[in-house]
Parts: sequence; structure tokens; C-alpha cells
Amino acid sequence: MKRIDLHIHTISTGQDSDFEFCLNSLVTYVNDSGIDAIAITNHNVFDIDQFQEIVTSLQSTKVFPGIEVDFAGGHLLVIADDSEVLDFANRAKQITEQWNNQKIPITLQDFRVVFPDLSRLLLIPHYRKRPEVPDHVIGELKPDITAGEVTSPRKFKHCINDQSALVPVIFSDCRMSKGLTMSASRTTYIDAQETTFAAVRMCLADKSKVSLSADRGHDFFDALPNGLKLSNGLNVVIGERSSGKTYTLDLLSENFDSIKYVKQFALLERDPERDAKQFEELLTRGHSLVTQEYLSEFRDVVDDITGVSIEADEKLVQKFLQSVKQYASEVERKDSFSNTRLYDEAPYPEVRLDGLKGLIASTKTLIETTEYRAIIEEFIPFQQLTGLIVRLMNEYAVQKEVALKQIWVNDLVESIQRSLKLHTATPEINHVDLYQIAFNRSKVQKFSRIANDLREETKITEKHLQGFTIVAKIRPYAGAGELKTVSGKKIAFSNAFQSYLEPYSFLKELKTIEGLEPTDYYKFFAKVEYNVLNRYGFEVSGGERSEFRLLQQIADAQNYDMLLIDEPESSFDNGFLRDEVNKLIKDISTSIPVVVVTHNNTVGASIKPNYVIYTKREPLQNDVEYRFYCGTPSDKELVSPDGRTIKNFDVLMNCLEAGETTYTDRGHTYEILKD
Amino acid sequence: MRYLRIEDNRAYFVNSSGATRPIDEIGKDDLLFLIDRLVEGDFDMDEFVEEHLQNQAHSIIYKNIYERLTELLDNRDRFKDESRELYKEALEKYSKS
Repeated sequence: MKRIDLHIHTISTGQDSDFEFCLNSLVTYVNDSGIDAIAITNHNVFDIDQFQEIVTSLQSTKVFPGIEVDFAGGHLLVIADDSEVLDFANRAKQITEQWNNQKIPITLQDFRVVFPDLSRLLLIPHYRKRPEVPDHVIGELKPDITAGEVTSPRKFKHCINDQSALVPVIFSDCRMSKGLTMSASRTTYIDAQETTFAAVRMCLADKSKVSLSADRGHDFFDALPNGLKLSNGLNVVIGERSSGKTYTLDLLSENFDSIKYVKQFALLERDPERDAKQFEELLTRGHSLVTQEYLSEFRDVVDDITGVSIEADEKLVQKFLQSVKQYASEVERKDSFSNTRLYDEAPYPEVRLDGLKGLIASTKTLIETTEYRAIIEEFIPFQQLTGLIVRLMNEYAVQKEVALKQIWVNDLVESIQRSLKLHTATPEINHVDLYQIAFNRSKVQKFSRIANDLREETKITEKHLQGFTIVAKIRPYAGAGELKTVSGKKIAFSNAFQSYLEPYSFLKELKTIEGLEPTDYYKFFAKVEYNVLNRYGFEVSGGERSEFRLLQQIADAQNYDMLLIDEPESSFDNGFLRDEVNKLIKDISTSIPVVVVTHNNTVGASIKPNYVIYTKREPLQNDVEYRFYCGTPSDKELVSPDGRTIKNFDVLMNCLEAGETTYTDRGHTYEILKD
Repeated sequence: MRYLRIEDNRAYFVNSSGATRPIDEIGKDDLLFLIDRLVEGDFDMDEFVEEHLQNQAHSIIYKNIYERLTELLDNRDRFKDESRELYKEALEKYSKS
């Protein structure tokens, strides 16, 4: 097996965080990690002089020339045979020039102009790694692209199992700067006897020839520079106090990018009142989509009703009446101008065709549907439907024509009235659209009914999660304080809340509050509240809240590449660990590597891990040494990276059962009690 | 019910208390009441005939109100259709009964 890292940066370009290249760091990294082949891949640049210097310093390691090209929206590693470095340098120069001139990713077409013979190169796109080269572009470059760079062991394993995926590779993508201490955990092993360009290229076209560890295929990967390997499944770390268990998790957390780390005691409640409040906020945030979705229709109603003013409508009616009465009282003053018919002619009210439009759309739906065509035809023959839509559309055309004519007449009448008014002292009548006024009143009535219905206490949704039930319910607000909390602003709601039971008056009050966005008004009519109930249907206690949070955190780990949990037993009882936590951890370890630190036999032994890591603090003469031993649970002995062994049985007894004597005694005690 | 009447050359309206009052006393609340009655369906009114209303002030007021209400009456079916569709989804979603 050969270990390779074909993605290393040695020049700080504008696309990196600023760093100064250090040849010593590179040499140390390569030699200490036992890497057999590397590629120098800087962003859109290849420096042949620096390359030669590196080759000279790494006599026993194969060094390939390469470049990381901004390509089709992603990044592409282009690596050449070291024997063709001069030709490669010339072509890379063209990439550099294009990049410096345009600063835009090179297109596939231009790329092919620079590198006409792709079969002489190794092309590795960012694959399950940002910024990704799009799949369709990769498709166009097949068969010259066979391997893709991924970021984690999880994605690596996924690609291995997915027949349609590229051959996965993991590389460090590191910047070789001064003082850098690198672990070689992000490298790939290839099943090759030598590290020639042809051998590497061949291996990266065959999934059976790449792996994450030298000896254990895809089920294990190199996790830390100290030689720690981890299973891609479930790992349990056990050991006495202060033997380096948490330290190991911390190192893992630093060494990998996408880690979900549940620290010891992190879920334990300290201040019950504050924790309960935070818990509720967490639930509300986590389920804000449920709230938004449930209130969406109401939000539309409020948005519409916000533009309606019954008071303004009443003023219009009053103005109309006053003007009519004044006109009537001064009728004797009418002159030849005001005596004309047009002088007090009311405009045609607006013709509303929304209902007819809706009807046409519905008929169209009936005609166009294919899924339920047979059922519809049982009742209405297709021909009748087409006849209906034609009839409706004709009617629409007629009414639309009338409407347009009326608008034209209104404009003309208004213009004539303006001229007549210039010559007369007779008061004019302020006409009013009673249809609109009646419609607005109808809107307000319906809005009030909806708002009252909405805030009636009801359960909206119920979701079950590992023995807990999350219930979303809606209820009326209990006071102005709750409204203030929802607003998230320092606004007083006490005045507004006095009219809370009268939806339209309440809305009017909300409109007077400065700093309140009209788009948020709908939030103040009913409160959506989330509760977590335990298996007996009661609200959860503090301890149960912690349990729920742990389960949420574990479930959330699906979005990460690795899950680390430090001593879950410090916050939970054994029943919960056995029934819920173990099952969930086991489930999630089938998709991402999980590392659990524990002292607890319920977790440590019952969970049946794939791999056991035993940490040990061994005193030396003037110092202490931290060591670790690993193996599968069925191994008789656990082995350290330098080949030392320790009996697995002894480890389990000492770490999980407080020693064999205690374990046997406890067994006897239980036997006696049982009998 | 007949909410607007012409009797003895004078016009009258019926207010929300059921009392019949001369048309020149009509106020905005009365008019809004008439709109509600009209929309709900139990509404009738005497046709405006200028010759039947010698009181000129009554004639003008009655004519204007009559014309506006007639427009609304002509569109009552459309109003009912539009009102029925108004906020329909929200009503169905939040109605607890």
C-alpha cells in the first residue's frame, strides 16, 4: 500500500488565507507521516523553480507537478507526470495568465485548448467538497476524470458504496506554513507497488484500489497523528480518570472539519428556570417552519385587512350624505351649468371580474386534468365542459368590453363635470362606491371570525421522537408581556392588549405602534406554543429535557461528518441510555463515524461497538506517558500502535465494572436478591 | 322589508331601531345599516319617480341614495359570490367546529 496526498499548497495566492511557505514543514509532514507521493497544487499557478526545490528535498518521495484550477464554478486538481514537468509548466502558465487577466473560472472549452490531451493528466475535481465541479461537467470529462476529492471518511465510504460515484480520495488540502503541525489523517492509501504516475492514475480509476487505512480497508481510517485509527462505525473510548479520553475527543474535534461534539455535562440543567426558557426558545426556533406554515393563510388575511379602514369608509359615506343634503338644500341656486344632467351624474362603479376569472380557471382545471378525467366525465361530458369554458370566456369578453367603455365614459364625464364646476356655485355631490364599502365590511366581519377561531386553544401538530412527543398548540396570548416577547423589541403592548378580544380594534391598535412592521401583525393574534411530553403524556421534567436535548443533538449529527459524545452517562440514567441513546447512537453510526467516551457498562459494553480504544496513563520515572490500545470487542487483546498488548477482558472489567472482584460480588448480590 | 318609501310626496327610511324617519334625517350609520340589510337579502325600496316626490330636497336625497343602492342591488349576486370566496381557505383551516 502507498499513502498519497495529492492536494498540497505551497504558494499563498489571493485565494488562500495569507501564509509563508516553509519547506521544513512540508518535509517533516511527509517524512513523519510516511507519505509516499504528493502533488503540489496551488491555485491557478505552478512555480517550476519551487517545485524543483521540493523534489530535491524529498528524495524518497514522489512529487508530482500540479495546479488547482478554478474551473466551471468549482476547483479541479490537474496533476501531471513528473517526467513531463516542463511541458506542464508551460501549459500552467497559460492558466495563470487567463486567471490574472479575467479572474473568472476557466470554461471547459478553454481548458481543452490549454490541455488538449487529457489522457496524459490526472484530473481530480472537488467532488463532495466545496466548491464542487458540477456533475454534468464531470460527466463531459469522463473517462479522463475517474476520481473525486471528498472531505470526510463518511463521504468516502458513501462513494465507495455508490456504484455511480467517482473513486473517492481524501487529501489534506493544507497550506505548508512555518510551524505547521499536521496530522496525516487526510490522506488516501492506494494498492500499488510503486508510485509512478501511471500506477497512481490506474489506482485512482478503481475503487478496490483506494482505502482510508493501510490494513483495514474502508472500515477504518487514520484519525490522529499519534497513530490512532478509528472505525467508520461506532468507537468506544474507555479508560481510567485522567487517562486522556476527553483529550482524544478534543484532538479529533480540532483535526476534522465537520464534527458534532456533545461535551460532558453539556446537556445537564444547572438553572432550571433559565434552562426551561432556553429549551422553549430552542423548540420554537427549531419548529418555526411549522408556525409559519400554520399561520400562512391568516397572514394573507391580515395583510389584506391591514389595507382596509372602516373608519375611512364611514367618512366617505358621511361625505356623500352631507354633499347630497347640501345639494338638496341649495337646489334653488342651480344655474344653467349645474342644471345639466351630467353635472351630478355618478360615475359607474368599478366592474369586478375576479369571480368570473376564477370560474374560468376552475373550468380550465377540470378540462386539463388527466388524473381524474374519467371521474369528471362520469358527471360532465368533456364536450359540455369545453362548451362551458367558451361560454364563460365570451361572457368575460362582453363584460370586459362594458367595463372598458364605462371607464372611458367615467373619464369623459369627470372631465365635463370639472369644466361645469368652474362656472357654478352649486355644491357637488361626493359620490361613493357602496359595493366596495359593503365588501370591506364583509372583509372585517370574516377577519374577526377567523382571528377568533384561530386563537381557540387547539393542537396543531404532534410529532413523536424516541419516546417523547413534541406538541405544537395554539392558544390566545395571556398578556401584553407575551406580545412583547414575540415582537423581540422594547415596545409596550399594554394599550393594544386591552382590545385583544376585538380583532379589528386590536389590529387598529397594532397599526398605531411605532417600530412594528406591518408584515409582523399576524403574529400577535395567537400564540403557537411547543411542549415536549414524556411517554406518559406529561410535561417533561428537567432531567427529561436533558434527555430530549441529547436525542436532538444525536439526530442533528446526521448533518455532520463525525459525532463525538463525552460521557453521556454523566447526565442520564441507565434505562434511558439502554433504551434510547444506545439505539440512536448505533443507528447513526451506520452512516457516520461515532466516538463515545464512557465509564458506563450500559454504554461501553451493551452498545456493542465496532472498535474499542483504551486510553492509559502510565507513570514514567519523572513523567507520565499517555498510551492507547485498540481492537475490536471480540479481540482477546488490544494493541497499541507500537505493538504492545493488553488483555481486553481486564480492560473491560477495570473500566466498566470497577474490577473483576466487584463484578463477581455484584453478580452474587443480584443472585441472592433474585432468589 | 321596504326600507325606503315614498308617501305623500315625501321620502322616508327605516332605521336600525325599526323607526320610520324622513329621508332628510338620514345619517351615515343609517346608510350603512341599509347596506347591510341589502347585502343580506331582505331589502326592498320604492322606485324613485320624480313626480311622486314634490319635496325637492327629499327628491334629490332619495334619488342619489336610490341610485347608489340600486347599483349595489344589481350586483348583489356578484357580491355574494365574491364574499363567499373571501378568505375561504383561512376560514376552513382555522374553524374549530
